Amino acid sequence: MRYPATVVDDIGNEHPRKNLLLAPDTPADAVKEYKTRRAEVLSQEKSFLRESSNRKKTFRSEDDDSDPSISRWLAEAKESEARAAFYEPLADLDYDFELRQKQNLEIARQLPLIASARRAVLDELESARKALSEAKAAGQKEELAIFKQARKDRLTQLGDEKSQLKQAYRQATISSKAFTNEKREGGLAAKDEIRVMRRQLPINAQKERVRYARHKLRQDKKSKLRVLNSDLSDLRRKTPVETAKRKALISYLTWPLPGLGQLLLGQRLKALLFFAGSLFTYLIAIPYALGRGNYRGKGLYGLISLAHDGSRLDRSVIFMVEGVIAIILLLMGLLILYQSYRDVNRVEKQMIRGVRLHNWFETRTSVKRSGFPFFASAPAALVTIFIVLLPIAVTILISFTNYDPSHQSKFNWAGLANYKQIVLGQGIAGGPFWHITGWTVIWTIFATSLAILIGLVLALLVNQDRIYGKRLFRTVYLLPWAVPAFITIMFFSIMFAPDGPLTNVLSSLTGQITNIKYSTWGTRTVLILLQGWLGSSYVFLLCTGILQGIPNDLYEAAKIDGATGFQATRHITIPLLLFQTAPLMIGQYTFNFNNFSIIYLFNGGGPFEPTKYGNIAGSSDLLISYIYKLTIQKQYQGIGSAITLIVSLVLIFIAWFGFSRSKAFREERL
Amino acid sequence: MSKKKDKGLYLSDRPPLTAVKVVMLALSYILLFFYVFVILWPLAQILFTSFNGNHGSYIQIGVSFTFSTKHFQYLFGETYFLNWVLNTILIALATAALTLLFVSFTGYAYSRYRFKGRKASLMAIMLIQTIPSFAGIAAFYTLHSIIASIAPWFSRQMFLILIYAGGGIAGNTFILKGYIDSISTELDDAARIDGCGNLQVYRLIIMPIVRPMLAVIALWSFIGPFLDFMLPSILLNDPKAYTLATGLHTLINDVRNMHQPVFAAGGLLTAVPIIILFIALQKQLVSGLASGAVKG
Repeated sequence: MRYPATVVDDIGNEHPRKNLLLAPDTPADAVKEYKTRRAEVLSQEKSFLRESSNRKKTFRSEDDDSDPSISRWLAEAKESEARAAFYEPLADLDYDFELRQKQNLEIARQLPLIASARRAVLDELESARKALSEAKAAGQKEELAIFKQARKDRLTQLGDEKSQLKQAYRQATISSKAFTNEKREGGLAAKDEIRVMRRQLPINAQKERVRYARHKLRQDKKSKLRVLNSDLSDLRRKTPVETAKRKALISYLTWPLPGLGQLLLGQRLKALLFFAGSLFTYLIAIPYALGRGNYRGKGLYGLISLAHDGSRLDRSVIFMVEGVIAIILLLMGLLILYQSYRDVNRVEKQMIRGVRLHNWFETRTSVKRSGFPFFASAPAALVTIFIVLLPIAVTILISFTNYDPSHQSKFNWAGLANYKQIVLGQGIAGGPFWHITGWTVIWTIFATSLAILIGLVLALLVNQDRIYGKRLFRTVYLLPWAVPAFITIMFFSIMFAPDGPLTNVLSSLTGQITNIKYSTWGTRTVLILLQGWLGSSYVFLLCTGILQGIPNDLYEAAKIDGATGFQATRHITIPLLLFQTAPLMIGQYTFNFNNFSIIYLFNGGGPFEPTKYGNIAGSSDLLISYIYKLTIQKQYQGIGSAITLIVSLVLIFIAWFGFSRSKAFREERL
Repeated sequence: MSKKKDKGLYLSDRPPLTAVKVVMLALSYILLFFYVFVILWPLAQILFTSFNGNHGSYIQIGVSFTFSTKHFQYLFGETYFLNWVLNTILIALATAALTLLFVSFTGYAYSRYRFKGRKASLMAIMLIQTIPSFAGIAAFYTLHSIIASIAPWFSRQMFLILIYAGGGIAGNTFILKGYIDSISTELDDAARIDGCGNLQVYRLIIMPIVRPMLAVIALWSFIGPFLDFMLPSILLNDPKAYTLATGLHTLINDVRNMHQPVFAAGGLLTAVPIIILFIALQKQLVSGLASGAVKG
């Protein structure tokens, strides 16, 4: 295989080869000559560099500065000058020499400038300090007195301005808003002027000078060296590299140990970062997966054994959770391995093309810039993985086991048995599934629609232009939303309890004892009415907001065309309202689908109807409160998880459906 | 000017009222006032019950009213009410602070940086935010006992905070990202040229502009723990560690410990600050909901 005739640098320019050993179609004697010349030059370079520390010493003694940085820079600049002169005749031999020549030239040009700028700042600092001590010795009694007088004058002037403004306001030549604004502006201006005057006091002025010079001293060094460094890496980017390498061998050989490849390529900073990743993979992830350092479990193996070969106290569910943790850690470890491999591979392949690898300065800059989003979202990602996704993964796994009251400590994989029970409506736990689903659907549709209807009608009524006291109505209608729902629900639960106040009222109205909480449809009706009461505020607020935003022109146009008020409402207001609030209304339906509080707190899901619902669920239980009862109270975690999964899938589907039709998604503004 | 009534001359912009319209208007007022009654009656009941000294353990109808603060005294003296208030406020504050911290970083990163895997992870975030918070219900308990075995100081309340904050990351990232997207990047470019780093750009340029949205996110994260009943009832098992929702529930769910008027008193004390918060900030709260819903 032949090497290509040209190399490509980092910014994409092609360069002819300089290294004749790698150039194709070179006559043999030219190669031979080049080889001997190169060996000669390399040994020359070695002896030249060996002398460098001696040279630096002499340079350093030549122009000594009291500031160590300056004398070091000046010496370095002279050394770079010498190096640039040394490399100049060699520049056409190899791109490495050319790069060194250019870089040293740049250093020799910039460092003296940086040094002299620093010298100037140092001198300024010294003179400022001197001036400060002089000023302190002289004292500033007089100036202080003048300043105090000036301040007093300014403040009285401010008082005059204010009283003038007040008069103007009283005479109604300016508005109250202008009055407060002008007052504030005047105060700020006076404050500013006084501050400037204080700064001009001799001691304060010199203090300020010293502070500024010290700040500049610190800042200049950083920023100017950064400029130099980025100029140098610019040269690196523009100068290609020639390598005898044909394949990205290092990446193929070192992928098991992230960091090693980077180290071999000479990128030490990057190597350090990836070594930290190796430590994680080999000291945390893999041992954990093998069962070391677990709380009780056995790493990955725990997922298979589910603690059946463990002691009597070992619980399957802990083994399962730790198994899932092991999987997550392993995946993270593998990701690190893969990233390291890809990084080394990419760098090597680019080197073969002619691109120089990044030095520490470039790596640091690129990590700072392109690595930032990863560092910034890492904590959030970790929390999401371990607090949100991990429990979900475990719930999914549990739904395929027989985790129930008789298998609390140890359970087995059970395949799709739970799902079969649910779908066929069999067993103690799966039996009432379809009944509950039916009521959940009825509940969701009626409770939400009622709330929307009430909220919508109220919004339309309140926003008629002839209604007075709009603010009052709006504040009152906000209340059911503002009072925490659990308080109202619990309170209504008390009111409807047997012998509760509302039960007594109802009983006296109907003439017989009416216990809402003992009647299935009684409870259900009250629940729907109660949710209508609770949910209407939110709809009302939303609709009011949108109604106020509908331009009046529409109604005027409709009126000119001869529409009655009713027609305008039907054809303008309601379509606009429904169109704009549709996604939120869908949100209300899913909210009620999951409305655990109202069901659980009102009647505990009751009344019980064992013939239809078994012993676990009551006749007003929704799927969500049924899940709660199964998993938390009655320990049917297996079936509970299966139902959780089904419900979640339905909800995700609805949310996704709503989202995929939203504007943001369709315009791909991700 | 309009206040002056000029007999005989009709000066209003609106068309004069016809008889039908008068009836409709009257009907509107009747409906509106009826609903005001429907809303205020139960709330007034809570108010009066909590101050009525004639109630025993149960709330009864037709009891005459005698002003008394004995239910409040019981609430503060015999129950852990102060603990519950403190717990809830701490949990709510911590949730809001954590959420803000996480979301500031993610929202900024997703809005301003183009990086590998950005689109894929945004899709993942969108999917995650649709997962209901109870989906991991069966694992919360076990997960907590594992974490607590490594770090014994990790209490159930802290776990609750993490669940609230972690559950909010996905959705809130999306909201904040959308909001930051609407700010021109020219501002940050200018700041970068002047030498600002990544975090400085956020702190000095972006944060002051997105403060209203951050406030909305913080507000909703803060209110969430006040309203939630399910998660604390699953996770917290010590009455001293309860939040307000689970704590007040203990006053009415058991015949042996039944103190309905005391519950009303506690409910009143809980509701009043939140009502004030809602009325004062209703605009921000509604706008936050609306922007949250744009994402679906």
